[in-house]
Amino acid sequence: METVLEISHLFGGYGKDTVIKDAGLKIQKGEFLGIIGPNGSGKSTLLRLMSRVLPPQQGTIKFQGRDIQRIVLKEFCRHVAFVPQDTLINFPFSVEEVVLMGRIPHLGRLQYETKQDMEIAERCLSLTDTLSIKGKGIDGISAGERQRAIIAKALAQEPILLFLDEPTSHLDIGHEAQIMDLLKRLNRDKSLTIVMVLHDLNLASEYCSRIILLDRGGVFQDGTAEEILTYQNIESVYKTTVIVNKNPLTGKPFVVLVSQEK
Amino acid sequence: MHNHWKIKVILLFSVLFLAIALGLSRGAVHLSLAELILRENRHIFALRLCRILTAIMVGSGLSVTGIALQAILRNPLAEPYLLGTSSGAALAAVTAVLLGISAIYLPLAAFIGAIFTVILVYHLARQGGRIAAQSLILSGVIISVAFSAVIVFLISISGNEALHGTMWWLWGSVQVYDLKLLSAAGLIVALGTAVIFILAQDLNAISLGEEEAIHLGVNIETIKKILFFTTSLVTAGLVSVCGIIGFVGLIIPHIARMLFGPNHRLLIPCACILGAAFMVFCDMFSRTLFAPLEIPIGVITALAGAPIFIILLKGRQQVE
Amino acid sequence: MRALLLVSLMVMLGPPNQAIGARDGQSRRYISLAPATTEILFALGLGEEIVGVSSYCDYPPEAKTKQAIGSFSSPNAEKIIALRPDYIFATGLEQAMAVNQLRQLNLKVYVSDPANMAELLASIREIGRLTARQIQAETLITKMRAVLKKIETKIKLIPVERRPRVFVEFWHDPLTTAGGRSFISELVTLAGGVNIAADIDKPYVHFSPEEVVRRNPGCIILVYMQGAAQKENLGRRLGWNKITALKNNRVYNDIDPNILLRPGPRLTDGLDELYQRLYSEKCITTGK
Repeated sequence: METVLEISHLFGGYGKDTVIKDAGLKIQKGEFLGIIGPNGSGKSTLLRLMSRVLPPQQGTIKFQGRDIQRIVLKEFCRHVAFVPQDTLINFPFSVEEVVLMGRIPHLGRLQYETKQDMEIAERCLSLTDTLSIKGKGIDGISAGERQRAIIAKALAQEPILLFLDEPTSHLDIGHEAQIMDLLKRLNRDKSLTIVMVLHDLNLASEYCSRIILLDRGGVFQDGTAEEILTYQNIESVYKTTVIVNKNPLTGKPFVVLVSQEK
Repeated sequence: MHNHWKIKVILLFSVLFLAIALGLSRGAVHLSLAELILRENRHIFALRLCRILTAIMVGSGLSVTGIALQAILRNPLAEPYLLGTSSGAALAAVTAVLLGISAIYLPLAAFIGAIFTVILVYHLARQGGRIAAQSLILSGVIISVAFSAVIVFLISISGNEALHGTMWWLWGSVQVYDLKLLSAAGLIVALGTAVIFILAQDLNAISLGEEEAIHLGVNIETIKKILFFTTSLVTAGLVSVCGIIGFVGLIIPHIARMLFGPNHRLLIPCACILGAAFMVFCDMFSRTLFAPLEIPIGVITALAGAPIFIILLKGRQQVE
Repeated sequence: MRALLLVSLMVMLGPPNQAIGARDGQSRRYISLAPATTEILFALGLGEEIVGVSSYCDYPPEAKTKQAIGSFSSPNAEKIIALRPDYIFATGLEQAMAVNQLRQLNLKVYVSDPANMAELLASIREIGRLTARQIQAETLITKMRAVLKKIETKIKLIPVERRPRVFVEFWHDPLTTAGGRSFISELVTLAGGVNIAADIDKPYVHFSPEEVVRRNPGCIILVYMQGAAQKENLGRRLGWNKITALKNNRVYNDIDPNILLRPGPRLTDGLDELYQRLYSEKCITTGK
């Protein structure tokens, strides 16, 4: 099993603050990794550190064995893509133009998109069910459509490692399932390594082969859904009472909220 | 929307040629194009050609820097003078006049003033190795306001008549007949435009957002620094030679984007031509509306620009 | 492409000796950018040769019939070139930028910017030389010198302490007067007066009204460049009723500013008018 990303003794944060404290992690090729944790535990920060948006304060991050700070950014982006939580774009690029920008890491600065690039973009549009809106302006579509377009852009980069920060937060349950299924398919058929920050514990349970529970900047626990999603863990980290059942169809853990009010 | 761009480009070129033809023939003295070629009219021809070349240089230079700044600051109200170049140049010019420096050195003084101001704004806005868009805009505005106050103060205590001669600055002028100066400024504008065009792909990425650009492999801090430096150089060069000509750097990018879309690879060359045509027309009107009186060109761009801007604003509001 | 255009531009502008100007066989053509130089040119008998003047040139009345080439501070380069002048006459300071531009277009410009009488007469002589009207220039200079001499003789015997103290007012708000560096300050001295602001080494000075009260001039001359000066308003200024000039009703606003402020042939007329105000019969007997 090939190690795609390796983190050791990682400290990182914004400015002088340290949000992530002494984190360590090894991500293997083909994993579908979910990162969960309460607000402020550092999920998004960890993601940003791993995708080179934030420089680490201490520690190392290695991509395919190489220190990521030493890899040329453009080369890094040919293999690693990122889907942010939400993107507000003020300029009226069309959906197709935005998806085509995913090809930028593969193009020279003065190079124009080739037919092959156009085909890749088409494919990504169709995978995310955005082909029908490809001519519309990105500033004039719904939040859900926009999110799918951004995912298409990330896929157009043809990455081997894909980071996603709550990618389904604006999607209705139908589209949510569609995107998660798409990711599952890519993960299974193309060995696309996926690292996803999730709010929804049950979504993580259904789809992720491995879950990391973060608490106050550190890794609380790391394992399968069954290992992580126990009512003890959740109460301990989220400070709230829950009941954990089993999904009747798939058998995966299913977390149920318990209201404290009558 | 951005379809039929080929037709639009051809139309744009035609508009530019029309502007040049009109600019050459009309003025305080109307001459047809055939008459212009006559030997006895060669001086007027040369004079008008000089002005048209300057107008083209100013129009394209301001438009391209406007586009670049609007992209890196991700603010549609950004324009070339935002970062303090205009007030720095004006302050240097006024100071030079008050110190009794001969008028020949005024452009050089203005250029130095502009560059110095830009460096000041840059250092004020810098936090560590990064320059945040908000900080740049804020420090640019603060410096501009401060310098304007100093200028007004200097003018009020001096009563120096020579200052009247620098008032053309405030409204700009494309009457630059010093060929050496024109070549120097033209070179700066041409190089700056080339640099910005080369970075068109990066500008596209940055338009999506700074983090987005990083995810696409763009070194945004380096690119921002290069663009900041380039736009400042071009603006400083233009302001020191032609004074302050407003609105062009603000509205031409918007109109160009409406016609040709936000893809900078097409947008930048088209904005150049659009800006050039606009300025040539403005120059022609400044000479012909109340001949032989010449209206300062900044007045014309403002008179044309303000209503256009209102129409643009109304259009946007309706869309929302 | 741009380089090609620039080269063709340079070719068209031609080497310096191929200046613009009258065609062979025709008489010379002159353009004046300022009222003062227009008056000088007309005084040298060049009425025919003048082909263009600024819109402010109003004396002699003939000047108003000439083609206008723009305002005082922004002459129209195109118009000027179209008129093919052999020489252009301008003044300094405000017109400096325009002069620069015109010279870059290979036009010949003479700048007349005299700060005192000696420089004005030298300037007239030079203009005479450039226009081949030396004789007329000498005649004019002699005439002006005669006026100077006449007044000089009359005031020679009056000691400085008994000469009228004069306040020249250019504008009321802010209160602007003539500093020691101004031409009119010299005129006041030549007319036998003492400019109370002569100690300040600037052309224009802003005084506070109290300062004028302190310096107590015996004579006040109002020379507003635009608009009529109202004598009555002076009395309303705080403390001004104590000023000798107001007590003796020696406030004059009836000298045409153009003959006092334009450095041209009528300046000695202005000087004469000034002398008469300062030394009217009433004045010499009261001594101040």
